[in-house]
Amino acid sequence: MENLPLTPPIVPMQPRQSQIRYLPAIGITLVCLLCKASLLASVAYTQVPIQSSQPAIDFERDIAPIFDEHCTQCHGPSKQTADLRLDLRSAILKGASSGPILDIQHTEKSRLIQVITGQDPDYQMPPEGERLSEDQIDKIRVWIQQGANGPDDSKLLEKPLPWSFRPIEDPWPQASDSSGQFPGLGPIDQWIQAQLDQKQLHLSETAERPTLIRRLFLVALGVPPTPEEVSTFCNDESFDAYEKLVDRTLADPRYGERLARHWFDVIRFAESNGFETNRVRYNAWPFRDFVIQALNQDMPYSEFVKKQIAGDALGEDLATGFLVAGTYDIVKSPDVNLTLMQRQDELADLINTTGTAFLGLTLGCARCHDHKFDPISQKDFYSLQAIYAGVNFGDRNLPSDSTPEKTQRLTQIANEVRSLQKEIEKIEAQAQALAQSKNLRPAVSAKLNEESFEPIIAKSVRLTILASGNSQPCIDEWEVFDTQDNNVALASIGSTAKASGCLEGYAIHKIEHINDGKTGNSNSWISNQSDAGWIQIDFKEPKPITRMRWGRDRSEQYKDRTPTRYTIEALVESDQWKPIASHVGRMTLAAQGSDGLVELLDPDQRSQYQAFKEKSKSLISEEKTLTQGSSVWLGTFSAPPTIHRLYRGDPLMKREVVSPALVASLDGQEFAEDTPEQSRRVALANWIGDPKNPLTPRVIANRLWQFTFGTGIVDTPSDFGANGTLPTHPELLDWLSQRLIEHDWSLKNLHRSMLTSQAFRQSSKPNPQGLSIDADSRLLWRFPPRRLEAEAIRDSMLIASGVIDYRMGGPGFYLQRVEQDNVYRYFPKEKVGPAEYRRMVYLTRIRQEQDPVFGAFDCPSGNQVVPKRPRSNTPLQSLNLFNSPFVMQQAELFAERLNRLANSDVDQQIRMSFHILFARDPDAQEIELSKEMIRDQGLVQYCRAILNASEFLFIF
Amino acid sequence: MSKQLQQDRRSFLTEHLTRITGMSLGSLAAVDLLLRDRVLAQPNEKTPILPAIDPANPNKARGSHFEPKAKQVLMIFCAGACSHLDTFDYKPSLIENHDRPMPGSEKLITFQGGQGTLQKSPWEFRPRGQSGKMISDLVGNLGNLADQMCFVHSLTGKTNTHGPGENFMNTGFTLDGFPSIGAWTSYALGSENENLPAYVAIPDPRGVPQSSGNCWNPGFLPAAFQGTDFNAAAPIRNLAKPEGVSDQTDRKTREFLTRLNQHHLDRYPGDSELAARISSFQLAARMQLSVPEVSDLSSETAQTLAQYGADQKGTPVLETKAAYARNCILARRLIEQGVRFVQLFNGAYQVGGEGTSNWDGHKILKDQYTNHGEIFDQPTAALLKDLKQRGLLENTLVVWCTEFGRMPTFQAGAKGRDHNPAGFTAWLAGAGVKAPYSYGATDEFGYKAVEKIATVYDFHATILHLLGLDHERLSYYHNGIQRRLTDVHGHVIHEIIKQS
Repeated sequence: MENLPLTPPIVPMQPRQSQIRYLPAIGITLVCLLCKASLLASVAYTQVPIQSSQPAIDFERDIAPIFDEHCTQCHGPSKQTADLRLDLRSAILKGASSGPILDIQHTEKSRLIQVITGQDPDYQMPPEGERLSEDQIDKIRVWIQQGANGPDDSKLLEKPLPWSFRPIEDPWPQASDSSGQFPGLGPIDQWIQAQLDQKQLHLSETAERPTLIRRLFLVALGVPPTPEEVSTFCNDESFDAYEKLVDRTLADPRYGERLARHWFDVIRFAESNGFETNRVRYNAWPFRDFVIQALNQDMPYSEFVKKQIAGDALGEDLATGFLVAGTYDIVKSPDVNLTLMQRQDELADLINTTGTAFLGLTLGCARCHDHKFDPISQKDFYSLQAIYAGVNFGDRNLPSDSTPEKTQRLTQIANEVRSLQKEIEKIEAQAQALAQSKNLRPAVSAKLNEESFEPIIAKSVRLTILASGNSQPCIDEWEVFDTQDNNVALASIGSTAKASGCLEGYAIHKIEHINDGKTGNSNSWISNQSDAGWIQIDFKEPKPITRMRWGRDRSEQYKDRTPTRYTIEALVESDQWKPIASHVGRMTLAAQGSDGLVELLDPDQRSQYQAFKEKSKSLISEEKTLTQGSSVWLGTFSAPPTIHRLYRGDPLMKREVVSPALVASLDGQEFAEDTPEQSRRVALANWIGDPKNPLTPRVIANRLWQFTFGTGIVDTPSDFGANGTLPTHPELLDWLSQRLIEHDWSLKNLHRSMLTSQAFRQSSKPNPQGLSIDADSRLLWRFPPRRLEAEAIRDSMLIASGVIDYRMGGPGFYLQRVEQDNVYRYFPKEKVGPAEYRRMVYLTRIRQEQDPVFGAFDCPSGNQVVPKRPRSNTPLQSLNLFNSPFVMQQAELFAERLNRLANSDVDQQIRMSFHILFARDPDAQEIELSKEMIRDQGLVQYCRAILNASEFLFIF
Repeated sequence: MSKQLQQDRRSFLTEHLTRITGMSLGSLAAVDLLLRDRVLAQPNEKTPILPAIDPANPNKARGSHFEPKAKQVLMIFCAGACSHLDTFDYKPSLIENHDRPMPGSEKLITFQGGQGTLQKSPWEFRPRGQSGKMISDLVGNLGNLADQMCFVHSLTGKTNTHGPGENFMNTGFTLDGFPSIGAWTSYALGSENENLPAYVAIPDPRGVPQSSGNCWNPGFLPAAFQGTDFNAAAPIRNLAKPEGVSDQTDRKTREFLTRLNQHHLDRYPGDSELAARISSFQLAARMQLSVPEVSDLSSETAQTLAQYGADQKGTPVLETKAAYARNCILARRLIEQGVRFVQLFNGAYQVGGEGTSNWDGHKILKDQYTNHGEIFDQPTAALLKDLKQRGLLENTLVVWCTEFGRMPTFQAGAKGRDHNPAGFTAWLAGAGVKAPYSYGATDEFGYKAVEKIATVYDFHATILHLLGLDHERLSYYHNGIQRRLTDVHGHVIHEIIKQS
């Protein structure tokens, strides 16, 4: 395209068009290309009159979609033929290599209008494919006439590479200990001190040993040290006593449990599907165990990353739980729009999590348009989508392999289940006896109910429902036995069923299912009325009957809709209805779904019973997993469909096909469209885990720093882009990253260097100078104290009271009672016992449902990634810790423990409690206060208070 | 920039620069401050206004961005998608074309599948109030208050499934995990009454809504801004002192704890996070007194109870109604006490089949809605009247909404309506809105919004605007983005705002 200037450039500047104020810089050439245009204009010129009443054209709403539909494949973010981009207004104003394409004063002379209207027969745009419609062209005309207004998106044009994209350097600090206080500071401390120097601050003196060991334990293990551990350390006179303690700590299996919990925040791992059905993923825990083990075994971080993305190719299937850790909407519909949008949301969430967790890049922001701040194009996003497009939510079957440990564990489980079963039966027998002594029958069960009565000759029987928990009642099968114990209700022997009515629209819920010999929800009857309805069976000829059985769902999947109040009558020879059975005499059903008779027992026995049942259930599920190798929530893989770029992320607005590729601005390569599914993920994994990737090591080194000191060197730990914060100590971050790579990506090695630094070992005591200059202690003039997270508080309480169950791995425990229906429902357990005394990392975390005590402590819900938890301070937290049954129970257990440890020696009790909770001796005033408290209000109340002490809830 | 805004800014900066230590919420704000500086450097973009949050009392009242028209919000949410066509959106053509196919519906696949014929509502519509607004008998009591209502008939949603739909209406996003509108409000404004939670969610007596805690969770906002959920039947958990502990013992224990904490604080002079914990214990103690007081309905007269329907009994439906009515009374008491944001739910998660426990009337609309109308209408109308009578509507914005609308057709082979996010109704009442007023419209059958189409974003932007908040500037940094309730969308619907 050659254009010679014929007319002098005139740049129209209307005062109200402030957005295009930078035009003059390029204005000289603005009208240069219009030579051809103006010539043509004289021939084929149709002026569109400017109408003042013309509605304002909005660039984003009206214009951008047109270009996106027709032009941006060649003139867009990924390709700029003739240096022209039409996806951004500022780029359109800038024009092409040949010059401007808009003439605001003479719309028709705009090169753009000429080529899209086909005024130049030799040069039409788009060159092939569908042409712009008249309507679209008119819109563009009016837009130009109105001044080509729109957002100033010029910053999107020039996106400098963020600092974090630069290669990692290997800087070494210049020794700079101005205070002369700490000869021989290590590199970390030298970096820290260098910054402090600039503010006339310095590192604090070393904390006292009890403080230090408590801090180390809480930070690295999430639990306080025992008094024995404290005294061993305090009495260790060797020069490297602390270094040895750090080594012991890093080797402690609780280390992996603690660090894993942070990782789960980062990747929003939880164990239910989310959305309204929110069903439990009973088999997602093996991924949790993989993470804990990997961290405990110090798996090289690059491996840890790669396996989570492509573990199926790297001999670590369990690691791919990462891919399906997020929410998943199981509500499916014949409406294709919904299905497409759900899938798009799933993949976007996975891309976003991959970007933020491993790379500190908010890749998710490029779903609808190029990233606003970082050099990530919309195409990059869809290229990554092509990599993940074959990942599906669901269970994967893993082959089982037999190992001696496994066999041993299986025997162990079998024994435990046997003895649990005995305990369960014992309690049931007690309940039975109690019921008999009270002449009560068991409460109605959703599964199956027995009615027996004196033999009676009946022509028909009728069951009338009076109540069913506010819903339309359901019955899956009704069996009526004659004196020979034959089921005479069956349709197959000629009996017929009828009902008051039936819920319409469901083939699986019909009156015929009542006596078809099939059970379960899929073969059941549901009334069309709430809390009402009757069913009747007419026998072919009168039958002598004496017993019947009925239930809601014999397969025990559903418990709702169970009739709770009912009468049963028989039609006798005299054509009279005679009552033969009813709910009367049954126990009431305090809560649906509880096990009938056991309701009679006292609460302690009942909760013990529940605990046994749950334990047994979890053992059986573990056994299943061990033997079958079994089905685990790890996702499945299928051949990826062709992926298109989607205009504004809308699955209905497909644009060009996109090949799988890695982020272009980070040297990511592109692959052939037919690259197999697994190879795509392997390539992604290798690229992220490559030591040359500048982001991966920086991001994890920063996470570990945040994990240690409470705040990262970069305070936006999952956003290392231009919208994140800059590092406070950039060289230090690179130094750490370089050490990580050098030492085979060993997290423990890197962590050791942080934990043994003076920055970590220094006191947390405030001083006025530090507070006035650097209130947040970001520069680390002291160790910054911080409140413990929910998990560490709960774990610490269980340790204080002495009841913690340190069993690792396997199915998790629950803090909610789960009611399974189409929609799962959760009810916080009112009382917890030994089954819930495990570390909180083993809690089966249900999305949306917060634990009533610890949820208020900023516990993530597992829906969105949480790279850094807020640390709220609220009255509800105080109430939960001060009044909840859980804390009261722990206070009682703690008091019992103190009594055991110190008999009734109050002084000793006080000292022990301080040792256990604070790792120190009480001072005289504290002893005085405590004594008075125990004397007046008792040891339990003392324990309740002290479990609420700030000192217990904070790391100092 | 308004004067008030400048002041807010100034106090914001002062607060941050002079804070002795800024951990917890403070440090978050510090990040925001850094980010804001960067954002400020960019022209033509609305800069975030970050609330100045006192870490010791995060819900202390804060100023709005500009003069508010409403100070408190009562949001009534009907879970399960309450049909606009059987309540507030009158369509004569639907009656005329009863049982005829809807033109173009042959290939229309909605949430559960294909369409049957157009169906007029089983309930009669009649003119109400001086405005003569046509409202159905299903909500006759509310209908009689039509003159107080400002209807938005042209709302549109983004999803046709309940979980995402309830998320969308309550949090502005269809996905799980975003802060609810109440959390945004308490984050922005705190509360006038520090002795009660700033934000209360009142679940239906039958259970929590389908999106459960999503509807009042803080998302990525600090937990201080989450809705506290309780209703007239189930008090706040852990509010009361533990069983078997006497008042005196409880007080003494608390005193002992305070002294212990104070003693410890002496060793960390100037540490505001420790000081904040002590003061939040004091707040908690005050809350222990004021929450039971506000939840105790025994001082309500028999007449009030009767007006709300809180005294009805005899059938399961009436018992549910009475329990919901008590929740309505609780809502009024909370508003009376200055709680910033009260969310009242009608309808729960699915139990006993679709449409039984909420407004999801797919198959037997008439039977199900008869019950829902009975439960919902009288108590809600009584609540609105009561608020008005007590002068509370001067400062309180009442919002009624649901996740989406329903189809003008019945589903193929059934007697109920399928989901329909293409057009539905919500109404506002009270502080700052025109009434009686109707904004926007659906097409002749009520299928799609066609006139003055409004999005949920617009709806949210308008609610924030009434509270004196600029929806484009109320934001919080999370994961690479200054997040907003309205994402990157939303236009205030100025037309429905009363010019005072």
